[in-house]
Amino acid sequence: MTSPDAVETGAGDAPPLLRMSGIVKHFGGVRALRGADLTVGAGEVHALLGENGAGKSTLMNVLSGVVRPDNGIIEIDGVSVDLSSPAAAQHAGVGMIHQELDLVPQASVMENLFLGREPRTRLGVLDRAAMREHATSLLREIGVDLAPTRSLSSLRVGEQQMVAIAKALSLDARILVMDEPTSALSDTEVERLFAMLPRLRARGVGVIFISHRMDEIAVIADRATVMRDGCDVGSFEVARTPPGEVIRLMVGQPIEQLFPDREPPGSTTRLRVHDLTVTPSTEGGRSEPQGVELTVCAGEVLGLAGLLGAGRTELLDALFGVAGQRMTGTVELDGEPVRLSDPRAAIAAGIGYVPEDRRASGLVMKESVGANIVLSALPALSRLGWRSRGNEREAVTSSVRDLQIKTATPDVAVGTLSGGNQQKVVFARHLLRQPRLLLLDEPTRGVDIGAKSEIYRLLARLAADGVAVIVASSEMPELLGVCDRIAVLRGGRIVSEFEAAQTSQEDLLAAASLEQDTTSAVEAG
Amino acid sequence: MTMSRRLPWRRARAGAVLTVAALLGTAACGTESDVPASAGGDATREKTECQGPDGDYLIGMSQANVAEPYREQMDDDIRAAAEDVEQFEVVFADAAQDNSKQVTDVENFLTQGIDLLIISPNEAAPLTGVVERAYNQGVPVIVLDRKIEGDSYTQFIGADNTEIGRAAGEYVATELLPDGGNVVEIKGLPGSTPAQERSTGFHEGIASNENIEVVAEGVGDWLRAKGQSQFEAILQAEQNIDVVYSHNDPMAEGAYLAAESAGRAGEIDFVGIDALPIPSGGIKAVQAGRLSATFVYPTGGAEAVETAKKILLECEDVEKEQLLETQLVTKENAAEVYKRNSTG
Amino acid sequence: MNAEGTTTSEKASEAAEPEGTEGSRRRRLIIPERFFTFQSYVALVLVFLAAVIFSPRRDGGIVFLDSDNLLNIVRAVSEIGILAVGVTFVILVAGIDLSVGAVLGLAATGTASLMMVNDMGMALTVLTILAIGLTFGAAQGYLSARLGIQAFIVTLAGMQIARGLARIWSGGQGIPLAYGEGPGLAPETFALLNSRTFNGTVPIPALIFAAVGAIAIVVVRKTVFARHIYAIGGNERAARLSGIPVLRVKIAVFAISGLLAALAGIIHAGQLNQGSPNDGMTYELDAIAAVVIGGTSLMGGVGTVSGTLAGALLLGILNNILALNNIDTNVQMLIKGGIIIAAAGVQTFRSRK
Repeated sequence: MTSPDAVETGAGDAPPLLRMSGIVKHFGGVRALRGADLTVGAGEVHALLGENGAGKSTLMNVLSGVVRPDNGIIEIDGVSVDLSSPAAAQHAGVGMIHQELDLVPQASVMENLFLGREPRTRLGVLDRAAMREHATSLLREIGVDLAPTRSLSSLRVGEQQMVAIAKALSLDARILVMDEPTSALSDTEVERLFAMLPRLRARGVGVIFISHRMDEIAVIADRATVMRDGCDVGSFEVARTPPGEVIRLMVGQPIEQLFPDREPPGSTTRLRVHDLTVTPSTEGGRSEPQGVELTVCAGEVLGLAGLLGAGRTELLDALFGVAGQRMTGTVELDGEPVRLSDPRAAIAAGIGYVPEDRRASGLVMKESVGANIVLSALPALSRLGWRSRGNEREAVTSSVRDLQIKTATPDVAVGTLSGGNQQKVVFARHLLRQPRLLLLDEPTRGVDIGAKSEIYRLLARLAADGVAVIVASSEMPELLGVCDRIAVLRGGRIVSEFEAAQTSQEDLLAAASLEQDTTSAVEAG
Repeated sequence: MTMSRRLPWRRARAGAVLTVAALLGTAACGTESDVPASAGGDATREKTECQGPDGDYLIGMSQANVAEPYREQMDDDIRAAAEDVEQFEVVFADAAQDNSKQVTDVENFLTQGIDLLIISPNEAAPLTGVVERAYNQGVPVIVLDRKIEGDSYTQFIGADNTEIGRAAGEYVATELLPDGGNVVEIKGLPGSTPAQERSTGFHEGIASNENIEVVAEGVGDWLRAKGQSQFEAILQAEQNIDVVYSHNDPMAEGAYLAAESAGRAGEIDFVGIDALPIPSGGIKAVQAGRLSATFVYPTGGAEAVETAKKILLECEDVEKEQLLETQLVTKENAAEVYKRNSTG
Repeated sequence: MNAEGTTTSEKASEAAEPEGTEGSRRRRLIIPERFFTFQSYVALVLVFLAAVIFSPRRDGGIVFLDSDNLLNIVRAVSEIGILAVGVTFVILVAGIDLSVGAVLGLAATGTASLMMVNDMGMALTVLTILAIGLTFGAAQGYLSARLGIQAFIVTLAGMQIARGLARIWSGGQGIPLAYGEGPGLAPETFALLNSRTFNGTVPIPALIFAAVGAIAIVVVRKTVFARHIYAIGGNERAARLSGIPVLRVKIAVFAISGLLAALAGIIHAGQLNQGSPNDGMTYELDAIAAVVIGGTSLMGGVGTVSGTLAGALLLGILNNILALNNIDTNVQMLIKGGIIIAAAGVQTFRSRK
């Protein structure tokens, strides 16, 4: 157990805002936390780092009263507190901004802000005027310009996040936990979020910021604590610590090279898309592809760049047949036209798809790792609809070995795996069908740095085997690192294409945000 | 098969074994059965030794639907009558209007080893099989109110609905409207036997008086609310109504309410059937003057216990059928009939 | 980095879905995951033991364990059990089928009508009725899966429609069966459904129920179709993106439910010598109760057919022992309600653990 470094809180001998020490938590026989410590001062932005599974989320769940620790002390302002429930934690001044926001999409901004404590008139009737007034001042306080009457579902993710933050502050949160707040944001939105942090500092709020993005942490965090295997392995001042040292602390060993060397792609055209257009569905809110022209060669990795809402996911969806009848234009695979009426047809044509949100769209969480891996391949592994356990076991075993999926046995529920290993399970499912074209949407979101590296290596291997790959990502360095070419999308159209080797983040950003967004995106790291 | 995939074969096998064991285990027991149940209609009826007044007897009463006041009264009558017979213990089951449930109820009675079965069947055809089985196992069967098919029972006790209808018709023809008049008939559930018979009998009863005319008919489905709404409509159409004849008391009460709110209750006589000796029953309505008359539709509960005494205690043979007499209830005798028929 | 460590502590940190891993089973307090997997069997055994204990005794023997009594129990739950097996499939894809009781009534009425009024032979009658049930179920599946109308609404409407059709078919009357040769009589062989085999011991409906259960268990264990059902119930979007024919599978489960409801209806007519449009009222609720007690989640994706069979038998034993002790019908209802809440409560406890 490491002892926490001496903490400067900027308030002389006053106790720190938050001190968690010796936190121990078992789940069944698993020790998730083995005596973790964390100290956060008032007005400090404190980054919490570590690979998935290191215990960050559990520690934060302890702090927010969701999980009761088996042992350990939590002090706020030097006073020991018992955070036995989320309500108790909220009362003690802990606010939590989850990745999945705890807001009601159908309700308006102000209704969300005052959910369960709506202002009333003397007659006990909802006082909408007071509500609007309070909401406006709350939002202004954190520098957000939003009409309180707008419905939450009409807001972009970043704006919704602001509402969640405003709500937490209105509940007098003094410790604000943000769990990967930037993972779903466009760069402009990230900038807005970061611009808000000084206001929180000024209020004396301690912000605990969980992120996988080193570049962000370097920009915003004052101090950072690294966790590994249920313990904290060190706290440090961010400004004084080189990034390599941080990664070494997180992984326990240095990663020599994040992006693998690639072989040059072949010259046979694998995918040719002509004038692909999708009529928007009645739901709206999506930037459907408009007149997309695209070719990808066998063995080539094509990147799709663009701001949030530029239509990257929509294009991949369309190429996988999700748009169905609403799609027009032609798609050829190896010179043969294919009809992409639904995902079944796409899979039959040799297309694989690792979707953006693996919990919602990729995995059947209650089912086992093995069942998830063979899901698409069952007809091929069976005879006349009767399953063959032998075939299935063989396929699962070889997938697990091949992709180095870290699981005790293939029979455990897939939900028990780490994010990176869950992602590999979705990969494995589509690789079992030996696709000619693989579509990947944010393949490394919520994946720790070790697994990221493995996924990049897998991509390189698949490309070397002749698979054509399309990767959509909001992380520019990732696209530059793994792709041969990068197409930039805006409003559902491809606006420019770059050779990855001859371009830079600035070029991509400029192309992505031209005309659409006048504020230049922040140059992080 | 399910969520956690650990050792799936073992779990599934355990599940299957358990289930099959539950099913086959019982089958295995079945082969050792010492009292094979006889199937079909050609089975032999076993004679059991009559123990007379020295024995103790368990009687099963299978009721079709206790939710109907008439049937609850039937149970109460049996309970009250059996209380005076120290050798008898009666257990009750309620099928809640479900044929399958009633079959199971009778099966469970047989499992308990009842010495005599009283049943008021929900419907004839579905209950015939299981009653036959009881009868063929040597259990005397008394069937109340509704018959079953065939003759595999010891005695049927019931009232003649046609006869009751006729009595009501004659009462209207001779007492209420000797000089003739206009009659409205509120009928029970269409297609049900009592509704048909109470209608047929009534028309026979009023045939003696040529000046009586049935000017309108309503269908009340045995329900008070339905009787009310039906008669409301009839009141609109018919200006001259002298008598309402309703197939049961609740519908007659409903019709009375309709007439009352139309301000015409005073000019109409209401006649019902059933005369249950309960606070919400027809006798009380006659006492209160809402109904002019009602006719007792006897439950047969007390008579069933009498028959059981004959069979079990006195070891006598009994008649195959016992038809019950109705009784006219008017303001004059209402209090007395209530006292006599009431069990509470 | 240690592989085991990553897996297990991530599991812990994602506390949302703590399915049992090695550790949680072997060490440490709380109830092992296996208990939940076997929840319905454990409950069945407990209720069975309770029935033995509370059974009335006669001549030193335990009345409940009397072979005839045990067989009666299986016979009595056979119709509900067959319905419940079908409903299990529907609930596994996160659907619900409220129409099974009414379809049973329609099938019973149709069976009696075709044989008594139309003088149809037994084989043809049975096939016709099964086809009607299958089609009715498939149509509901199509409406719910293709047009996206909630299964609750579709089958609520289906329940009304099936009852209406049955009333029209029979003119609102029950149609009693009379057996024999010639017009206006049903074939003698149909009376087999109301008889017992193996020396007059084992009721035929109980055997059919056992067969249906066994086939369903095999289907769930051995077929790709069943894997697809679980995947759709667990995550429909993921299932669709994995190339599973979601529409077809959904229509199929509703068709199975309709088919089994029709089968139960034929048995119903045979057992009761009558087909009536009012048959099977509220049976759908008993069937759903059996499924829930059997450990199948109404959220879909989790559950077993064998659990449902256990749930149905549990209800049967419960009804039987309460009746043998002459517990008042109304009190019986209270006890059954309590059991259902207990079963659902155990499920909730499991997902919260």
